[in-house]
Amino acid sequence: MDLNLFFSQLLNGLSSGAIYASLALAIVLIFRTTGILNFAQGEMALFSTYVTWWLADQGLSIGLAIAISVAVSFVGGAVIERVVIRPFEKASPLVIVIATLGLFLALNSLTQVVFGTDAKQLGSAFPDTVWDVWGLRIEAQTIGILVVLGLECVALWVLFQRTRIGLALRAVADNPEASRLLGVRVGTMLMFGWGLSAALGSLAGAMVVPTTQALTASSLQSVLVFAFAAAALGGFDSPLGAVVAGLIVGIARALTIQYIEPLNNIELVVPFAIILVVLLVKPAGLFGSTQVERV
Amino acid sequence: MSNTRTRGQHRPIPFLTVLVTTIALVAASCSGGGRSSSSSPGSGSTSTKGGIVDASNCPGSETEGVSGTTIKLGTSLPQSGLYSAFTEILKGESAYFSYLNQELGGVEVDGKKYTIDLVAKDDAYQADRTVANVTALVNDDKVFALFNVVGTKNNLAIRDFVNRQCVPNLFAATGSPAWGDVKYPWVLGSELVPYPLEAKALFDYLEKNSPSAKVAILRASDDFGRAYSETFRSLIKGSKITIAKEETYNPEQSDTKSQVTSLAATNADVLLLGATLLACPDALQNVKASGWKPMTYMSGTCTSKTLMALAGDAADGVMSVTDIMEPGLAAWADEPAMKLYLDKIAKYAPDADAENGIVAYGWTTGALLAETLHRSPSLTRQAVMETARTLKASDVGLLMPGVTLSVSAKDWFLGEMFSLAQYRTALGHFELVGSVLDFSGHTAKITPPDLIGG
Repeated sequence: MDLNLFFSQLLNGLSSGAIYASLALAIVLIFRTTGILNFAQGEMALFSTYVTWWLADQGLSIGLAIAISVAVSFVGGAVIERVVIRPFEKASPLVIVIATLGLFLALNSLTQVVFGTDAKQLGSAFPDTVWDVWGLRIEAQTIGILVVLGLECVALWVLFQRTRIGLALRAVADNPEASRLLGVRVGTMLMFGWGLSAALGSLAGAMVVPTTQALTASSLQSVLVFAFAAAALGGFDSPLGAVVAGLIVGIARALTIQYIEPLNNIELVVPFAIILVVLLVKPAGLFGSTQVERV
Repeated sequence: MSNTRTRGQHRPIPFLTVLVTTIALVAASCSGGGRSSSSSPGSGSTSTKGGIVDASNCPGSETEGVSGTTIKLGTSLPQSGLYSAFTEILKGESAYFSYLNQELGGVEVDGKKYTIDLVAKDDAYQADRTVANVTALVNDDKVFALFNVVGTKNNLAIRDFVNRQCVPNLFAATGSPAWGDVKYPWVLGSELVPYPLEAKALFDYLEKNSPSAKVAILRASDDFGRAYSETFRSLIKGSKITIAKEETYNPEQSDTKSQVTSLAATNADVLLLGATLLACPDALQNVKASGWKPMTYMSGTCTSKTLMALAGDAADGVMSVTDIMEPGLAAWADEPAMKLYLDKIAKYAPDADAENGIVAYGWTTGALLAETLHRSPSLTRQAVMETARTLKASDVGLLMPGVTLSVSAKDWFLGEMFSLAQYRTALGHFELVGSVLDFSGHTAKITPPDLIGG
C-alpha cells in the first residue's frame, strides 16, 4: 500500500472532517443547553458566511471579515433564540423542531433575497502554501482548518469548565428549574448558548466555501447532513464526540473515494453505514451519555 | 436522576426519526443527477419521411408564438446556485437580440421583419426545474421555440415533451452526443463542440505527441461526464494509450479534492477533465497542490478566462477546444465581428464582462438563431426546424474564421470544426494551438452507440 497516498487522503479527510466537526459542535452546543436539535444550524451558518462575503467584498481583509461576522452571528443567534425559539419554550420538542425547520427555509430564502442568487467567490483565510514533508504534500489550508477546530475546542473547554458563565450554562442544561431558583438567568444563558453556536457556524462556513470554489444558497446543506451525521455518531450531548465523529466521517468519505471503487460517487454510503452500526450497538453515540431511568 | 432528565429520556427517538428522514430527503435531493431515462417511446407522433422533420402528427398551431411582428422564444438556464455563472450566456444572447431588434429592425423571415422576444426562466441547473420551466414556456407563455436551454441532463429531461409538442429546441447548450438520436428530430445542439469530438481531438493530439501516454480521467458523474470518458475509452482501443484511473465527482458539489489526490497518485502523464464550470478551476488547483504535473485537457465548456482566473497559476498550460474567437485575444482584435461584439456588449449588456467566453458564446448562439430564422422559407415550427437541420453557416457571431457549422440529414452535429487552445496565465487568455481541425460528419462515427441512442 502506498503510505504517502493513504496519508494524503487522511489529510483530505481531516480537513473536510474538521469543518463537519465545527458545525457538529454548534449542533451539540444547542442540544446540550436547550435539548433542541437545530435543523436551521446550516442555514444560520450560511447567512453568516454571506455576511463574511459581503464584508470581504467591501474591501475588508478576510480575517477581519470573519471576525466581524462571528460577532454579528453571535448577536444574531441570541436574537433568534429570543424571538423564534423562546415563544415555544413550553411547547413539545416536536413543535420546536418544526420551528427550526421553518427557520431553515426562512433563512435560506432571506439569504437569497438579501444577497442575490448568483454564486459568490470567497477567498481563503489561509495562504495557498504547500509544504513537502518527506514526500507528503501538506497544505496550509488543511493545517489552518485543523488549528481553527483545535482553538474552538480549547475555547469551549475553558468556557465551560473554567468560567462562571460556563458553570451557569451547564447548570441550565442540566436542570433549568433548579438553576432558575438558584438565581441563574436561564433566558440569558439560552441566548448565550444560541449565540455561541451561531458564531461556531459562522467559522465553519468561512472554512468550507474556499474548498468548494463558490458560495451559494445550498453551500451549507451537504455540510449540515455530515454535521448531523457526526453529531449522531458522537452522541448529541458530547462536544468531544462531535469533534471525533466529524473527523471520522470526513476520513471515511475520503478513504472511500480512494479505496472502494464500486462506491465511486456514492461514497456517502460508508460514513452512514458506520453510523448505523454504531447507533445499533450504542444508541447514545460513541461519546454520548446513556440516560438511566429510575423505575 | 432528576425529573427533567427522566422525561428527557424519550426525546432521542422522535429526534432521530426526524433526523434520519431529513438526511434521507436531503440525500435524495442531492443525488438527483442520475441518468435520465429515455426508454419511453418518445417519438410516437413524428417520423422522418419526406424532409427530416415531419410535422404531420403535431398538436397545436404551427405558428404558435408568432404574433404580429414578434417571435416569442423561451429559454431555461441556471441563474441561481452553483452553476449561476452560466447566466452570462443569457447576457450575451440578450445583447444580440437587443442589437437585432433595435438597430437592424429585427430578423427578416419570408420578406417580413420580426423582433425577437426571449423569455428566460431559472432552473438552477436542476433537470426537474427545467421540465417545469419548459412546460410553462410551451403551455402558458406559448413560445414559438426553445432556445439555448443549458445542460445535458436538462435537455434530456425535456426532449420527449418537446418532441411530442413539436416545439423546436434549437441550439441546446450542450455538446452531448445524445442529440444525434434520430428519434428526436426536434432538438439540435448548439455550436459547442460535441464532447466525443473533444475526446477525439485529445486522442489525436496524444497519438502524435505522446503515443504511449497514461491518462487519468476526472469527470462529472452524469451523462455529460460519461460522454468524455466512454468515447475516450473506446478511441484508445488498439492504441498504446492507457487509462491509469478514472474518478467521478458529484456535480452538485464541485469538490474534487479526494478524487484528484487519488488520480495524482497514479502519476499519469495526462489528465482528462470531463468537468464543467467551478469544478474546472477546483480540479486544477487541487492538481497543483498535489504536486502532480500532468498535461491537462479540460472540457470546452470551461474555456472562460473568468473560470481560469479562479484557478490562477494552476490553469497555466491547460488545453481545451474552441470554435469561437476569444474576446480580448490580440489576434482577433481587428476582426469586424469582434469589434461589433465589443461595441454592442458595452451598449446592451454593460454589466457583463465582454472578455468572458461564456458571454461570447451566448452572443454567437443568438446570431446563429437569427441566421436560421432568416433562412427559413416560412415562419412555421416545421420550416424553421427543417432549416436548422440542414444548416451550413460560417461568419456567424464570433465563429472563428475558417469554421463552418454544418448539419444534414445524415449528420446531426453542428460544432465539428474547431481548434485546440491552451490557456496562458501570464496572457490571461487561451492561445490557439495549430490550425482549425475539421471533423465534419465524424461525431456519430466515433461515439459509442449507447451514448447516442438511449
